[in-house]
Amino acid sequence: MPALLEIKDLFVSFHTFSGEVEAVRGVSLSLRPGEVLAIVGESGCGKSVLCRSVMKLLPQNGWIKGGTILADGIDITNYTQRDMERLRGRLFSMVFQDPLTALNPTMTVGAQIAEAVQIHQPGLKKAAVRCRALELMDLVDIAGGEERYGRYPHDFSGGMRQRAVMAAALASNPKILFADEPTTALDVTIQAQILDLLRDIQVKMGTATVLVTHDLGVVARAADRVAVMYAGKIVETGTVEDIFYAPQHPYTWGLLRALPSRAVVGEPLYTIPGMPPTLINPPKGDAFACRNEYALAIDYQEPPPMFQISETHFAATWLLDKRAPKIMPPLGGSYHE
Amino acid sequence: MRQKNPFLYYGRKLLGFAVSVFLLSLVVFCTARLAPGDPLVSYYGDRAEKMTPQEREQAEARLGLDEPIHVQYVRWLENAACGNFGISYKYKTDVISVIAGRLPNTLILGGTAFLLIFAGALALGALCAWNEENFLDRTVCKVGTIVSCIPEFWLSLVLILVFAVQLRWLPSSGAYTIGGGGLADRAVHLILPLTVTAAGHLWYYAYMIRNKLLEEIRSDYVLLAKAKGLSRRAVLFQHCLRGVLPTYLSLMAISVPHILGGTYIVETVFSYPGIGTLSYESARYQDYNLLMLLCLISGSVVILCNILAQIISEWIDPRMRSGEPPEVTKHG
Amino acid sequence: MSEILLDVQDLTHCFRLGRNRVLRAVDGISFQLRKGEIFGLVGESGSGKSTAAKCIMNILHPTAGKIRYLGINTCDPRQFRSHKKFLQISRQIIFQDSTSSLNPRMTVADIITEPLMIHHIRPPRGSLRAEAAYQLKCVGMDPGYLDKHPAELSGGQRQRVAIARSLGMGPELLVADEPIASLDVSIQAQMINLFKHLQQEHGFTFLFIAHDLAVVRYLCDRVGVMFQGKLVETGPVGEVFSHPLHPYTQALLSAIPIPDPRRERKRIPQFFDSTAFDREGQLREVSPGHMVFQKGDKL
Repeated sequence: MPALLEIKDLFVSFHTFSGEVEAVRGVSLSLRPGEVLAIVGESGCGKSVLCRSVMKLLPQNGWIKGGTILADGIDITNYTQRDMERLRGRLFSMVFQDPLTALNPTMTVGAQIAEAVQIHQPGLKKAAVRCRALELMDLVDIAGGEERYGRYPHDFSGGMRQRAVMAAALASNPKILFADEPTTALDVTIQAQILDLLRDIQVKMGTATVLVTHDLGVVARAADRVAVMYAGKIVETGTVEDIFYAPQHPYTWGLLRALPSRAVVGEPLYTIPGMPPTLINPPKGDAFACRNEYALAIDYQEPPPMFQISETHFAATWLLDKRAPKIMPPLGGSYHE
Repeated sequence: MRQKNPFLYYGRKLLGFAVSVFLLSLVVFCTARLAPGDPLVSYYGDRAEKMTPQEREQAEARLGLDEPIHVQYVRWLENAACGNFGISYKYKTDVISVIAGRLPNTLILGGTAFLLIFAGALALGALCAWNEENFLDRTVCKVGTIVSCIPEFWLSLVLILVFAVQLRWLPSSGAYTIGGGGLADRAVHLILPLTVTAAGHLWYYAYMIRNKLLEEIRSDYVLLAKAKGLSRRAVLFQHCLRGVLPTYLSLMAISVPHILGGTYIVETVFSYPGIGTLSYESARYQDYNLLMLLCLISGSVVILCNILAQIISEWIDPRMRSGEPPEVTKHG
Repeated sequence: MSEILLDVQDLTHCFRLGRNRVLRAVDGISFQLRKGEIFGLVGESGSGKSTAAKCIMNILHPTAGKIRYLGINTCDPRQFRSHKKFLQISRQIIFQDSTSSLNPRMTVADIITEPLMIHHIRPPRGSLRAEAAYQLKCVGMDPGYLDKHPAELSGGQRQRVAIARSLGMGPELLVADEPIASLDVSIQAQMINLFKHLQQEHGFTFLFIAHDLAVVRYLCDRVGVMFQGKLVETGPVGEVFSHPLHPYTQALLSAIPIPDPRRERKRIPQFFDSTAFDREGQLREVSPGHMVFQKGDKL
């Protein structure tokens, strides 16, 4: 099956006062139709920037430095904002972290959804637009659409707002949906509902979803494939099973072991020592080397290439090189509570 | 939050207005009387200086200036309540008719200036926000800041020198040519005063609009709007401007007094026969009755505009006028 | 069983929303904190956890109820004034967002020693600077950071500075309002270990407010679950997590995501109908230390 989205060797940088921040450093990934790809990493690892650079929604000081982006077979790397306006909403759309700020507080929710319907069907009659908007509200399980249509965002609860944002994002049947931390700002009890809705929509509409998150619980619930990002690079990618049951990269090990839900009460919680590096003049070798208890001498010299482990599973760590010493991975297999 | 009873809501505002106007009249009355100067001069002209003490006393008694301040104030208040604001010492007629002759001129100048600033600032601000950090934006920002820093009286004098004295294109003073006075003539007389008033205020509001718009452009909902496929223009005009308008409207309501103040100075420099020149004269010649009414008019405009601004901002923000409590408060 | 440090009785705090509406943010909650324990207060946003913490810290004045800190009724203005210095020194609060709670114009050293200067406390380790360096070491930071400004630090480091500042006074009770919610997974783990270390090695008592139940289960000794201003269940963490009795606690526990795809996908979160929540009732002890909010005898 041909990829819906193909990113090759993408570099994205930002101008700041202290210098050029290399937020994304050579990321390659592909998204197949109808799958949910989760991009996991800590804040500042470049996961949100990656999505925004595909949609060309970077802030003014950011720019794509190199690489290519193929969306639905078209090279959109050099597309202008005007070219992108035709693709946004129809080819790809986006859902954001905080549904309160993502909605315009001075417009009714219905109007904001209707607006999204109208953009790509300018000839549509008013009644038809309203009808479609109500249909969308129904799709994302907003009960009482008729009544809620004329309400303002502040009248909605957090979960309902996120549903409204999704309705607006899905108005023109996009093929790709970027969901940037869609559950982070929501209460625990609502999170699962929103994730299930995401999956539900993906099944109903065949939308491929890129799910950006720092929460491995979210990944476990909603993703088909996972890409783990660290310091602007993808360090490991594979199916959910690959990542959760047979992780290969020391950073993935660290992330999984540091989860309080995996910890045994009474024993100290595992921590990854140190902090992520700043991406102004990033380190020469593997950016994770100085926090990595399994680091090899070569990690400080040369960044590791992607090693293939199975058909679906790749990881960028020198530990997978033939010459590397064999070590016992600290975790793997199914975990039991 | 909007009160349930509109009568109570507006009644409260009205009461506030009445109290403020009353306090204003009291303060103006006292400061005017306590300020040094001789009101008789404005009534009797040079004759006042040659008066004997007896004549002076008689004259003061006739104008009611011999009594203590509080008695004078109470009497003024009683008359004012019946619509009688006394006579102007200088013009020797009813103050209302003196002001009525001048008010239209100020209204024309102030009103046109206000509309010009209102529309101009919006357009200029949007233009700058659209071209954010471009050459155009930067130039406009710099020129605007410089122009708005120029004192109005100085700019007036320079403009008079250039356009009236040197080039002789435009008249230097007045609201119309004596004897003539068609619409075109009035318009020509308005150009210089208008330019000065607008130059002094336009950039302040345009810059406000520009920065507010840029703030809106950086907010998250713009990202969603763009992700939906909205064009940049649609985002700016349908979303951002909408977010800015409530603040702008209430800002413009507050701006009325500032623009009014600006026209007063401009009127004086251009000898434009409006309220501004009249206020200046009345204060200078201790024309108490005229001064009182002028201050009351200007003060009421200021207070009314502030109340209006408050009402606008309360009414326009949807959070302030929703019928039902939002879902969070249902918990309580 | 150790001494009771903080005794909260029927604490109520109402916010006025305009003329006729009142939000009962905290509605008659009672719990005790014993010396040296970590008490977790959990609930969704808007459940009143932070308001309760602010009442305990005398930032807000409660509408009703009593808060006794080592026998001092802190809600009584007379008692508060006569013990003001003691209360301010021995209770400290750490906020969620250290970016906004630390003054960006002060250096780390100034931030840590400011409370000492305000209260004219002689630094136990000689100079103020030595004291600041010691406290930084306590929270696992290098003294080289003393002259940095908050903007130069990462989120985790800023939170450590905030903790160091509160430790400097030698407090007894630390109220931590979602101290790790805005931090990354790998930094969160470091902070959780730090809290555990401070409790075990230095004997601090914590009121730990959180919405992440996995953290609470790991870190806390006892837990209180809040819903719409009411404390619906409280008890030892193990007991509450293994035998939740109140339907809301059950729903909340069933919402904890499991970082294991096979089990996570089978997990069906329970739904708690908030409209069916009966606000009448009281906490009843069902087993030693385990209390549930109920009306009459039934749940």
